[in-house]
Amino acid sequence: MANEERVPGRNVAAVAALKKRFASQNAVLVILLFVTLLIMPLFPGFKGWMAGQASLVIIYVLAAQGVSILTGYTGLVSVGHGGFLAIGAYAAALLVKYYGVDIVTCIIAGGVAAGFVGMLLGLVFLRLAGPFMAIGTLGFAFFVGAIVNNVEIFQGRTGISLPPNKVLGLQIGDTGFYYVSVVVLGLVTLFIFSLVRSSVGRAFKALRDSEKAAQSCGVNRLFYRTLAFTISAAITGIAGALNGLITQYVSSEVYSDIWYSVDILVATVVGGSATLMGPLVGGAFVAMLPFFLETLADFSFILKGVVLIAVLMFAPAGVCEVVARPFRAYRRRRIEEAASGSTPAARPDVGAGVVLAGKGNP
Amino acid sequence: MASHLRCEDIVVRFGGVVACDKVSIDVEEGKIVGLIGPNGAGKTTLFNVLTRFQDHDVGHVYYRGEIIDRKRPFEIVSMGMARTFQNINLFGEQSALDNILIGAHRLTGSALPNIYSFPGARQRERELARRAGEIAEMLGISDVLDDPVKSLPYGSQKRVEIARALASNPKLILLDEPVAGCNDEETAELRDVVQRINRELGVTILMVEHDMSMVMNCCEYIYVMNFGSNLAQGTPAEVRSNASVISAYLGEEAAA
Repeated sequence: MANEERVPGRNVAAVAALKKRFASQNAVLVILLFVTLLIMPLFPGFKGWMAGQASLVIIYVLAAQGVSILTGYTGLVSVGHGGFLAIGAYAAALLVKYYGVDIVTCIIAGGVAAGFVGMLLGLVFLRLAGPFMAIGTLGFAFFVGAIVNNVEIFQGRTGISLPPNKVLGLQIGDTGFYYVSVVVLGLVTLFIFSLVRSSVGRAFKALRDSEKAAQSCGVNRLFYRTLAFTISAAITGIAGALNGLITQYVSSEVYSDIWYSVDILVATVVGGSATLMGPLVGGAFVAMLPFFLETLADFSFILKGVVLIAVLMFAPAGVCEVVARPFRAYRRRRIEEAASGSTPAARPDVGAGVVLAGKGNP
Repeated sequence: MASHLRCEDIVVRFGGVVACDKVSIDVEEGKIVGLIGPNGAGKTTLFNVLTRFQDHDVGHVYYRGEIIDRKRPFEIVSMGMARTFQNINLFGEQSALDNILIGAHRLTGSALPNIYSFPGARQRERELARRAGEIAEMLGISDVLDDPVKSLPYGSQKRVEIARALASNPKLILLDEPVAGCNDEETAELRDVVQRINRELGVTILMVEHDMSMVMNCCEYIYVMNFGSNLAQGTPAEVRSNASVISAYLGEEAAA
């Protein structure tokens, strides 16, 4: 009789309880991060210009999050997301300039416009993979650059200057804009969190790991690849809209620059392209680097390159993945212990760093 | 008995090479059917034709009487047909559980409610996870569900692949060399698994296999291919004593 109880050898309830607790630990840490971001302007040392800088960092993070959907989760390397950034920025700028619409509408419109173009691009590039995809997307960024340089409505290098930003009719300054950015970042992060754990996220990762096996499981390659392109482009488009609005100036000099595309790809790869926190860490790194180097700002190109090579050599899955590894191993051990019933599941612990890689979901 | 999966006069040409030359097979509902033949006989090509991973030039494939020549590979599984691959083709970085859940993809419904994890989708996810647990138990891989599959031993990976195929609730499973590279013990275990899937779940099975102990002990009917054509067919006993089969495997003199 007692034998029968031990035969399955696995304490399912304890494992489930432990997993649930680890998940809520992750959630608490992420919520803490966002609360910190929200109350940051209340600290006495926080100055107005810092709000603007912080918003620019968040914009980089958002752009990198867009890249991570395509490059990290779906395995299609994009060197052209600067194109989607530009589409978002110009969509927002034109709407403000000619229709004087609210920035909330502009942000949504930037996402929709970039998402639509992303969908078309996904269809056009349906047969591309690997380095060919990289070259194709690079070409797309140049294509967008050529359009904004030469089509009259975009006013080329002269650029489009925008009036002060308004939310629901109220004019907002840098700090107000910072709050808007944090809220957008929160919503997008929540969306990605939900997405990558859903059946859709599973389909993306399946296509990344083996297209053949994915199709044998019933994953419609055309649909999910195009969907990944659309979502990825839309998120970067939202970042673009924010970028245009905060600088209140959109010109081809800025948006035909291929370095935008490279920067956000570097941000994604350095942080960890298939992790929830990777784009946050990587985006912050790339955006803040010139700032810290101050007079040596030109040196940041070199440093970014060195860091990128180092990451690719020593931690190809990104910094977050490496930081999270010991925490994840610790949690696995705890789960194993709980499964075999050698230790009671209830035991206080700190599993901080795991959140960096988002519950160990490569 | 009704025909479950049938193909008629299938011809596949790769340039000048004829990989399949008027091949016909008929898999009866509820049976375990084997497809054997020397290397290069065209077995895997035929397998890919049946699962629509390979276009054929001539002939038709019927699933329960319906022509499926124009179906796309991902549509096959929603008809009730799942497959495994010759060399294990798993999503290596992901856990065994995630692999099985991807197998259940056709049961997850449309994309939008899943992205936003609407209550209905969440309910379904729980149900799928529970079923994945049951399948894992049947295949004896419950204790490795959370491990990334690339870290698992070969035999377990084979089981995960079969579990993934089972997760779509198939009526027919095509196994491409299920015991290739397995030792005798693993082979015996997998044979048991395959027979249980057939008996307990009522799933029809078509397998390509080189391991004769597996084929002869497991299959109720066997098709033999050689040089891209049908060579023989029959029960294991009939095939074993068929002169042309022996000569194809062992050479003319052995048969004579």
